[in-house]
Amino acid sequence: MKHKKTVKEIMVDVFEYPHIPYWFTIKQAIVIIKKTLMGPEKCYHPLAILVFDEKYNLMGTVTIRDILEGLEPKLLTPQIMTEFAGADIEDALATYEATMFNEEAKKRAEMPVSDIMVPAKAYVLPSDSIAKAAFRMIHQNTSILPVLEDGKKLVGVVKMFEVFDEISSALMD
Amino acid sequence: MEELIRREHSQKLYIQLVEILKNKIQSGEWPIGSQIPTEEELCKIYQVSRSTVRTAVLELAKQGLLKRQQGKGTFICKKVISTGLTLLTSFKELMFEEGIAFSTKLLARTMMMPTDDLDILLNIPEDRHVIYLKRLRSIDNDPVLVKETFIPYHICPHLLDLDVERNSILELLESKCGIRITRAKSYIELTHVTKEEGSLLNLPEGAAALLFTQQSYSGNTLVKYTRTVKRSDRFRFFIEVERKPE
Repeated sequence: MKHKKTVKEIMVDVFEYPHIPYWFTIKQAIVIIKKTLMGPEKCYHPLAILVFDEKYNLMGTVTIRDILEGLEPKLLTPQIMTEFAGADIEDALATYEATMFNEEAKKRAEMPVSDIMVPAKAYVLPSDSIAKAAFRMIHQNTSILPVLEDGKKLVGVVKMFEVFDEISSALMD
Repeated sequence: MEELIRREHSQKLYIQLVEILKNKIQSGEWPIGSQIPTEEELCKIYQVSRSTVRTAVLELAKQGLLKRQQGKGTFICKKVISTGLTLLTSFKELMFEEGIAFSTKLLARTMMMPTDDLDILLNIPEDRHVIYLKRLRSIDNDPVLVKETFIPYHICPHLLDLDVERNSILELLESKCGIRITRAKSYIELTHVTKEEGSLLNLPEGAAALLFTQQSYSGNTLVKYTRTVKRSDRFRFFIEVERKPE
């Protein structure tokens, strides 16, 4: 099974995703995601937002999962994680439930997105294969990858959706 | 000939002295940055009491014309006469006119989505990308203003690569994007600096400063929104109004 397509052919414009600087708060990011990516007629996937530094370098991405994790009560110490695994899971979850919706969560929403973003560690080149993009996505646990020209200039993003589409279509042939 | 205080005049002595000293500053007889005579010398020259001199000097300091430096003396302030209300002059041109050395430091140039009311201020849909610039301007290495500029990305994408430290945005928009700003709405109000603004402008957090916001148009299209925090001791605004001929 041969496949000749490159990242360049399946990548999408970076402007399909909202851009924010790292100093924006989680709350501002939420508003932006809701306004730009979620709507009655459209819902982009993945629900990700790109985070840039003051020199317009891509720093990382924030997904709705990262936001939920950021709003989580910080009492999830290793000790509590152990509790989750044990019999006291109901107790721990009760605490979790109580704190996820209280004032503490509102306070956490004022944190800068730099605290919750996932740094952009992996990237692909426009000339890379789809398989390489798939490898990076699976092993970096991300559904969106920046495409850098010469490893420097951001020219687009690859979404898991298109990678899946290519690989699955080839399989069915 | 030295202008003197007229005792027969009904005006208070210190007010007369204020006017005399103001004339010296505005005529350039006392150049910007120079030191004025000491209180004692002024007492002698104008034949008035020390308290009159002190009151007059304080009044001029309050108006921003003089700056008192402990242990050093009193100096003529460098004031930038801003014609910012007539937008067609950019800061750079203004500085050339005034012959004041200034520098611009680019603190940030990146992309963002309109947050808070920015979409309304720029009159764009909320999913449009916006170029964000933050620059610090200094006069003689003394920071005087922090300027944040917001321009819809589609208006001038080149702005991400152009030299915005040495060129004014107004010039760049015109020369590189063919956009000529023809009109602007400006608002001036009092603000209190945030911790971050304060550290940039050498002011304590919460200190009073001037907030200058401006929406610039090219024809009927809104192309730019700026938010400038200016040190209140370094600027004064000049407005000239003329009555329409009947």
